Amino acid sequence: MQFQNKIKDNEIIVFADTSLYSKDSIFKCLYWYGDKFHANLSFADSNTYRVSVKPISTTQLSSDELENLLLKLERDLVDFNLRDIVTKETQNVRDLLIAKAFSNGEFDELPPGEVSDPVGFNPNLS
Amino acid sequence: MEANKVDRKSRKFKDFETFDLKESTQYFLLPFRFHRVTAEKEIIVNEVGDYLILPNGTFEKIVKRQINKEIDAELYGDLIANFFISEQAIPPLIDVLATRYRTKKLFLNYFTGLHIFVISLRCEHTCHYCQVSRVTQNRDLYDMSIANIDKGIDIMFKSPNSHVTMEFQGGEALLAFDNIKYAVEKAEKIAIELGKGLTKVICTNLAIVTEEILEYCKEHKILISTSLDGPQYVHDKNRHKPHASSYELAVKGIELSRKILGHDQVSALMTTTKLSLDYPIEIVDEYFNLGFQGIFLRNISPYGFALRTDKSKYETDKFLTFYKKALDRILDYNFKGHYFTEDLARIFLTKILTPFNVGFVDLQSPAGLINGVIVFNYDGAVYATDESRMLAEQKDFTFKLGTLDDTYNDLFFGKKAQEISQIWANEGLTGCSECAFQQYCGADPVHNHATQGDMYGYRPTSDFCQKNMEIIRYLIELMESDVRIKKIFERWAKTATH
Ligand code: SF4
Repeated sequence: MQFQNKIKDNEIIVFADTSLYSKDSIFKCLYWYGDKFHANLSFADSNTYRVSVKPISTTQLSSDELENLLLKLERDLVDFNLRDIVTKETQNVRDLLIAKAFSNGEFDELPPGEVSDPVGFNPNLS
Repeated sequence: MEANKVDRKSRKFKDFETFDLKESTQYFLLPFRFHRVTAEKEIIVNEVGDYLILPNGTFEKIVKRQINKEIDAELYGDLIANFFISEQAIPPLIDVLATRYRTKKLFLNYFTGLHIFVISLRCEHTCHYCQVSRVTQNRDLYDMSIANIDKGIDIMFKSPNSHVTMEFQGGEALLAFDNIKYAVEKAEKIAIELGKGLTKVICTNLAIVTEEILEYCKEHKILISTSLDGPQYVHDKNRHKPHASSYELAVKGIELSRKILGHDQVSALMTTTKLSLDYPIEIVDEYFNLGFQGIFLRNISPYGFALRTDKSKYETDKFLTFYKKALDRILDYNFKGHYFTEDLARIFLTKILTPFNVGFVDLQSPAGLINGVIVFNYDGAVYATDESRMLAEQKDFTFKLGTLDDTYNDLFFGKKAQEISQIWANEGLTGCSECAFQQYCGADPVHNHATQGDMYGYRPTSDFCQKNMEIIRYLIELMESDVRIKKIFERWAKTATH
């Protein structure tokens, strides 16, 4: 089913493919809208997130402002998804880096024990 | 394409043995963060604070592996050299990066340096935004007792830091000058015995300073830190002194202090109030004309009376406008060949442009409280920061760590300290964790608590966040827009580390 991003009744609604966007990234994005908007995430169907923001105050935003907000939300969702990819892909290297930085040499080779491996990258192969 | 044939373990990470490393699109990402600086430019910042400014859209290309080693050779080289990407899963120079990271967090090695002794709560000023001082002659009630001074010194020298700073604050600290003398002489003796460095500072409005006091300061190498809010019409409105001009006394005191102690032994701090916001140029000019080498454009503290009186309320937006106008003026002086800095910018720029960090308690992660500063109150209570004791004056004891009768361990590693430590690193805070400016910024649980009601804080409405994010972004925008400004900023950052 085809979903179209839209502005309806003062609410901005954006749809995001669940195979492309992570839930974490959407929440991280919506976090920054929480000061001025009711922010909501739900499923439009099993493959599509429905992301919506609605101004908290009763004041109506102008149609230009709403249009800009729609653009901003679309852009922010992309930005936060990209950030999330970097965070997740680099988590192991980051853990290793910080372990090394605060160690007294014990991490100069490989970190002992199990390193968390959420995205299927095994550092012990290097 | 070869990589398509392999059984991928994830959407993004492929078995790296299957990579042909000569194939230009195959690289690994290293930890870094991203922010939009202007409509055309974006910034990426790595884990040790190195940054690259790039045209919009580049971040997306990097993540999507669309940077080609041959076609985008220069960018590719920059990304590799600055640890944003690597051709191996674990970069061969990871130990170099780890050392850089350690350097950025070196302040943790030293632990508490600044020990604030609130030597007296008495004051002869009645500033409208001051939340703590008392106009009284009652020494017994509002001066730190000799017994508490002894205990404070004892705790101070238990710090693992090889160089400690003892800062006397008030009220008006000079009203208890005899006690300061006692504390200085005792601490000097112990410092020599223990082989530790000791810096002594008196924070004073200089209204009651005398030649005799200053001669003593000279003999004991005590630094003077005073308050100057700008020209007379700003300063005197902010700092009310019955039957006298606080400004005239401050300026006279600065001159006398410089004459006796030496020019560089006297510093001044300004507090921005609602009134100050209308005079960015005049305030900068005042500092310049009085021969200071810089100014620290500080936000007013949100504590105590300052939070409760309308007089001191103003929005961060207005502060930012004020800040930018003042910074422009400061840059003008620099364009004309003068060396004149803005110290908040200097702190950020040192973090942005050098491998080092700055021991500034409000902008550290883990936060500066306990790790960098501790406050011994006149009544024997111990607080995490200067702001914490101001909260306590409003009966909010959230950041009271104990009293001078407690042990060092209980104060610095006790339950309260542990509770605060859960949220004192911005690396682990929502909003901050993916913020490109994380390495340049810090965490301030006391500020969060005072302004938002909880230590964790909520970044979208945080004035701390709004202010820091915009100032950092603005500094970067300025550097990118004018090579002269970049040179000036580099000089400021360089001199801050010497
Ligand atoms: S407080 Fe704001 S600017 Fe500072 S690191 Fe956190 S999100 Fe970034």
